[in-house]
Amino acid sequence: MSSPGSLGHSGQDHGGTGSVEPVPAVAFNNITKTFGAVTACDGVDLSVHRGRIHGVLGENGAGKSTLMKMLIGLVLPDSGSIAIDGTTQHIQSPLAAASLGIGMVHQHFSLVDALTVWENVALGEAGKLDPDAVRNRIGDIADQYGLMIDPDAQVGSLSAGLRQRVEIIKCLRRDPNIVIFDEPTSVLTPDESVQLFESLRHVVAAEGRAVVLVSHKLDEVLHATDDITIMRQGKVVDRLEAATADAPTLARGMVGREVSLRSERAALGVLDVSADPSDSAAKPSNPNDSAPVLRIQNATARGIGGVALLDDLSIELRAGEIVGVAGVEGNGQRELGDLLSSLLSLQSGTVSIDGVQVPDGKSGAMARAGIGVIPEDRHDSGIVLDMSLAENLVLVDQSAVARRGFIDGSALRDFAEKMIDEFAIQCSGPDAPMWSLSGGNQQRVVLARELSQQPKVLVAAQPTRGLDVGAIEYMGQRLEAAAEAGVAVLLISSELEEILDLAHRIVVMNSGRIVGEVDRADANLESLGLMMGGANA
Amino acid sequence: MSGTASGPRVGEWVVLYVVSVLAALVLSAILVQATGGQWRPVVNALLDGSIRNPGRIGETLGTAAPMLLVAIGTIISSKAGLINIGQEGQLFVGAAFATYFGFLIGGPGALNVVLILIFGAIGGALWAGVAAVLKYWRNVPEVLSTLLLVTVGGQLVAYGLSQSWLLLAPLADRGNRNQVSSQLAEGNRLPRLEISGNEIPFAVFLGIGLAIVVSLALSRTVWGFMLRMLGRNPRAAQRSGVAQTKYGATAIMLSGAFAGLAGAAMLAGGGFAFGNYQLVPGFSTNIGWTGLLVALVAREKALVAIPVAFVFAGLRTGSSFVGATGVEGRITDVIQGFLVLALLVPPAVMFLRDRKRARDAATERT
Amino acid sequence: MGGLLEAIVDILSSESTYINGALFAAFLAFAASGELVAERAGTLNISVEAMLLTGAFTAAVGYHVTESFPLALLLGVVGGMIIAGVQAEMSHRLSADQFVVGLTLNILVLGLTGFLDNEIEPETKLAGRWDIPLLSDIPLVGQALFGQRWPFYLLYVLVPFTWWLLFRTRWGLEIRSVGENPQSADVSGIDVNKRRRQSIYYAGATSGLGGAFLIFGQIGLFEDSIVGGRGFIAIAAVIFGGWTLRGTIAGCIIFAGALSFRLSVQGLGYEVNSELLQSLPFLVTLIGMAIFAHRVRAPRALAQPFVRGLK
Repeated sequence: MSSPGSLGHSGQDHGGTGSVEPVPAVAFNNITKTFGAVTACDGVDLSVHRGRIHGVLGENGAGKSTLMKMLIGLVLPDSGSIAIDGTTQHIQSPLAAASLGIGMVHQHFSLVDALTVWENVALGEAGKLDPDAVRNRIGDIADQYGLMIDPDAQVGSLSAGLRQRVEIIKCLRRDPNIVIFDEPTSVLTPDESVQLFESLRHVVAAEGRAVVLVSHKLDEVLHATDDITIMRQGKVVDRLEAATADAPTLARGMVGREVSLRSERAALGVLDVSADPSDSAAKPSNPNDSAPVLRIQNATARGIGGVALLDDLSIELRAGEIVGVAGVEGNGQRELGDLLSSLLSLQSGTVSIDGVQVPDGKSGAMARAGIGVIPEDRHDSGIVLDMSLAENLVLVDQSAVARRGFIDGSALRDFAEKMIDEFAIQCSGPDAPMWSLSGGNQQRVVLARELSQQPKVLVAAQPTRGLDVGAIEYMGQRLEAAAEAGVAVLLISSELEEILDLAHRIVVMNSGRIVGEVDRADANLESLGLMMGGANA
Repeated sequence: MSGTASGPRVGEWVVLYVVSVLAALVLSAILVQATGGQWRPVVNALLDGSIRNPGRIGETLGTAAPMLLVAIGTIISSKAGLINIGQEGQLFVGAAFATYFGFLIGGPGALNVVLILIFGAIGGALWAGVAAVLKYWRNVPEVLSTLLLVTVGGQLVAYGLSQSWLLLAPLADRGNRNQVSSQLAEGNRLPRLEISGNEIPFAVFLGIGLAIVVSLALSRTVWGFMLRMLGRNPRAAQRSGVAQTKYGATAIMLSGAFAGLAGAAMLAGGGFAFGNYQLVPGFSTNIGWTGLLVALVAREKALVAIPVAFVFAGLRTGSSFVGATGVEGRITDVIQGFLVLALLVPPAVMFLRDRKRARDAATERT
Repeated sequence: MGGLLEAIVDILSSESTYINGALFAAFLAFAASGELVAERAGTLNISVEAMLLTGAFTAAVGYHVTESFPLALLLGVVGGMIIAGVQAEMSHRLSADQFVVGLTLNILVLGLTGFLDNEIEPETKLAGRWDIPLLSDIPLVGQALFGQRWPFYLLYVLVPFTWWLLFRTRWGLEIRSVGENPQSADVSGIDVNKRRRQSIYYAGATSGLGGAFLIFGQIGLFEDSIVGGRGFIAIAAVIFGGWTLRGTIAGCIIFAGALSFRLSVQGLGYEVNSELLQSLPFLVTLIGMAIFAHRVRAPRALAQPFVRGLK
């Protein structure tokens, strides 16, 4: 994430002012929740106080999101109780949570593109719909917290940063006493993140609200919060004050052991970006001389209403190199992935592999030309939930298991078993329906399939999203191994650390175009951040 | 994880199905009683008319055959994720094609019978193809276009039947009747096989054979694999080289072809419920709709469609005996509707349960 | 050629063309306004055909029993809502496929009303004609719009009410959100499937009313399969209208024009093949959709079931 210094001041300015109140705003008492055989939360105790920002830190799967879902009524605890301002409450629905003054700023999926800002803000409330009152309130909140927005703009036309602003306003509009931020920085530039944490301070300072910041990024928790709770495998493993905490302690708490690997540090957001030349030098720097394997030239695609999705975008990729595409989400990365998955047609521009042009938007053309894809959202184009695991392994190419137009069942099963072994996929067998696999294992199926095609180019779009540290490490190793084997890897990620960790070369996307390119060795967070924000390098 | 067909799950399925079917039957019985009838005689009449009386099994099989053909076609399109619900029209247009070209080509014997069937299939495919063109070229939902084309198709064929240059029989052949085609010549009809007092039309064997072929094609071939991929995740299919337009249009047209084949088989099979080897207005007599229901109940399994078609055909052949009990014969339409509705419940319940389990497992601490 | 032109002028200048057109359009618009709400919430509700037919039948039986028009209309609404209940609960509680349920209902209701009609043979008649003073004297269209039987005028309340409901109330906002992005609506605290069920009930109510209107405002008695596929034309009107109320009503008027044109051609004694003429409204509908369907933007979650946690 951002360098420590840029975030530090806000945390420390106020760090000492909030004295511990006798009655916490939120108190989780001995909360347990199991899903099937898995215990998501195991006897969790946690108190959040007014006037303070409380960081809940943990890897994916540590139980922090489940805990928060209980607070906003999306999940009910199996045992234990939740007290709000000292009174035990059974929170059955988001509406009930709202009436208790609990609000959440969601990471994804809470805005409706086709509606206006004010309609979105009003969504989910009760009572008579009064557009003018909503508009006025939006204006008030905007003034108070410095969150300017046009209430009549259509949400679909807003940038990721502005959309999050709408989310925050939507949450604050209900005057919550308790505000939960769920991984809020994944859609923001480093600069926007700093702004966000500043307004967070406002939120806390005004009327003594309590704020919970849920994150897997150690750095931002360390610098933006007052109190920190670390969770691991459903349990609280440590509680500390931010002022006295340090990164290694937090990392140890989160992972359960000393963190040493680079990729681990990257996953946790503690990678010291500015100084690590030796490490990056260890990577084979640009295999520059060879001819590019993948060449995208002047790709332009427009969406509904002529919005530029890709805008004169050009990228070249050589065998054996990992090129990171950095950028704030929603700046054309998804479309770039779609283009290389034959899911997007261009208005102009070309894609070629080894100098041979590949028709864009023609079904299967990119895959046949040797482009493997680990898509951003595997449910979208990566897997077919209603088919079996084995069938999912041969979605793209059945030639190895087909004979004269027929699928050879036993060959398919053999192939699947080999892949299950090689990629350690946990399942009940080759015939297991895909929907019965967990997300991490579904991702392994995708990885297994795409690598088994022996692609010339591998596109990995947000490949570690939602995975835990172990899985992230595994993915990183696989990508590096692929590159070493001569595959040209295009790593599209909104996590700068991931890119800095793995890529040899970094390009930055903004508004559908490449706004800058740097070598890993010359990468510097500040300039990358500026480029991500749209400034030309 | 969630087992496929382990002990307790089979039990759940059985209980759900038994309860649902019973509910549908009880509801029908109540309806009969409430309108002044007696349910027992109705049941007896249904059984007599469908299987018990001599020759009725053959008749029921003959009625089931076109339903089965329609159902097989429907299964192909729904595997591809398409909702073709215009089989009634496709069947009728197919029958009209079969009639027109059957007489145009003329000639005796087996070859012409085969041609009649083929032209029936072509007619149905073309009529369904209109929906495919509208969908892939003009973005018109096939649910709606296939439905609207049922009426249009029916009227067009009726028009054809009023024109002597199209389908209307020469005056000498039709006496003073309007809107009938000529009769197929003796040698141009589908043969029947006699087994212990029952005449079993050739179409029955055709239907069962094709059910097996389609079942294999969908589950075992690369083509079937592609089609299922398209139906379950069109975007994954697009990336993997399944051209939506090509495979989708093929699937719709194939399903239309099966409906058209059913129409041609009814025409050339004749006898029983399907008249006199000639085309008349209303010739399709809801076989298309019923075949569609058969497919829905069989839940995309071509082999399951065989017994389901037999049951629904039994309701139809039985209904002609129900009138004698003083209860309106259309009660069988109602029973059929209740049954279909009831049979939708168990899969939906089980789906929700399975998904809930999977979801709980996958939500694991995120 | 001159003959054809003359005929068209003749038809267009005949008052009965407009009267029939208004009746057909009203029938479609009753159904289409509810259908619009259901589709905005994400259901392509093909059981609207069954709702119309049931509404017509229960209204007819209602009059047969009570001899009161208001009560009979109410029963029409109830009839439509019963079908809506089956559709809504099966597709948005049990998550059965919405088209399968709708199609089954259409076929079931066709048999059921046919069966019961023969058993009961309800006696009905047309409701009284209300001439709105002055307005009904407008040449050509006055009688069509202001000289109809009174159930017709319910539409003048229903359409603005539907607009208000969909675009000015919180319920309407939630309906639109669950049709666009059910995941977001869910996270915002809206019970997606409940709103979808409610939207189908609304479609059931307006279609039931439409069915009753058919009996008391247009035909005067119930007949077997009296709706005859016009429910599907109502759905087409919604799509044709790009899921806006104004467009939907325009679609109803255009498609009704084709229905009315057909009647007028025969009524004025022109010789046109009746089969071709009968398919005209459906052809016009198909052509209308072919021209407009790709230009409009459907609600994003239209016809997609929602199960929480499942994308």
